[in-house]
Amino acid sequence: MPRLDRLSQVQRTMLLARPVEVNRTAPWTPPPAPLAAMRLALVTTAGLHLLEDRPFARDDPSFRVIPSSAGPSEIRQSHSSLAFDRRSMMQDLNVVFPVDRLREMVKEGAVASLGRSHYSFMGALSDVDPIRGPAAIVADELLADGVQTVLLTPT
Amino acid sequence: MVTVSISQVREHSAKILPPRALWVPFPFGLPLGHAGDVEQQRRVLACAFDLLLEPSGPVLRDLAGDEEEEEERGAPVQASEVAQTGTPPQDVAMELLLMRQHHERWQGRGGRTTVGLTRIPPRRFRGVVRFLEAFADGSDADMAERPADVEPQLWIRWCVDDLKALYVEGRLSMVPEETADAAARWLWGETALGDLIRRVARRMESSADPPMRAAAYGIAR
Repeated sequence: MPRLDRLSQVQRTMLLARPVEVNRTAPWTPPPAPLAAMRLALVTTAGLHLLEDRPFARDDPSFRVIPSSAGPSEIRQSHSSLAFDRRSMMQDLNVVFPVDRLREMVKEGAVASLGRSHYSFMGALSDVDPIRGPAAIVADELLADGVQTVLLTPT
Repeated sequence: MVTVSISQVREHSAKILPPRALWVPFPFGLPLGHAGDVEQQRRVLACAFDLLLEPSGPVLRDLAGDEEEEEERGAPVQASEVAQTGTPPQDVAMELLLMRQHHERWQGRGGRTTVGLTRIPPRRFRGVVRFLEAFADGSDADMAERPADVEPQLWIRWCVDDLKALYVEGRLSMVPEETADAAARWLWGETALGDLIRRVARRMESSADPPMRAAAYGIAR
């Protein structure tokens, strides 16, 4: 997005007022292998889900499982924000959920494989605490699937 | 497990300290860049995965080479910013019929659809329109399709989002090169649906029910 100093006062205030986790340290896990030898999955806060899934509600802390074999036509988005134009996502899911690009990387040998599933949470949560439990479940499922690297995408 | 994040708000990432984050200058909703720009998307991914080569962290790096993006506005035009031109058209049902044809063209050309939150097929959207019109006019309207565990205000949002998605995708078929702002000005300033959604939002805002009032925020966006 544009830098904060380029935004309107309303947008700047809204963003700066949003609660975020403030950390003094960051966990550091060195990659166990080059990317070309690692299994990768996507985790997004774009509010994506399959057509047959229940759409997200505002501040919904739950997650949805998106099989990595799912095609773009099977995926919906129930996170609609004042802040973004959904037309781009209507035209190309890869702007927020780059499944086609990652499949290309697997074919090219740049990534070893994709996990069985990708995961989505709702965006713009007003409280981060309720998401800790669901996030731990997702981490466990990713580890059980042998996923070594996760790409996190926002909206 | 190793994580690589794409960041759209640099100030937030500087506080959260994810181990590896790539800040991108694109508008919200486009963390990988613009629709259809495969090379740009691949470049963002390459830069993000380059962070795996860093020996220590946290590392927050800017995507280089896209500074011109900073001139883009942060969010599209909202309904509140758009003045309706003259008397807006009133017949949403007739307008819907026309927009469904454009939407079918959109899908016929291979366009994916984001319609589907209510699970009601577009050919039955006249019922959705009747429901929203009755609600806007003050009745206690409901729809048999609303699942029992979905609150009325959430159902209204899904109905509105499905109709907007059908219109916006249909508009993409009509005017593919239109800017986001021009499309928003068309929806809110020139369509009967835009007027209906504004009326729905006003009814929600005046509700005595706090969850209904809270859900009004963002309905007309």
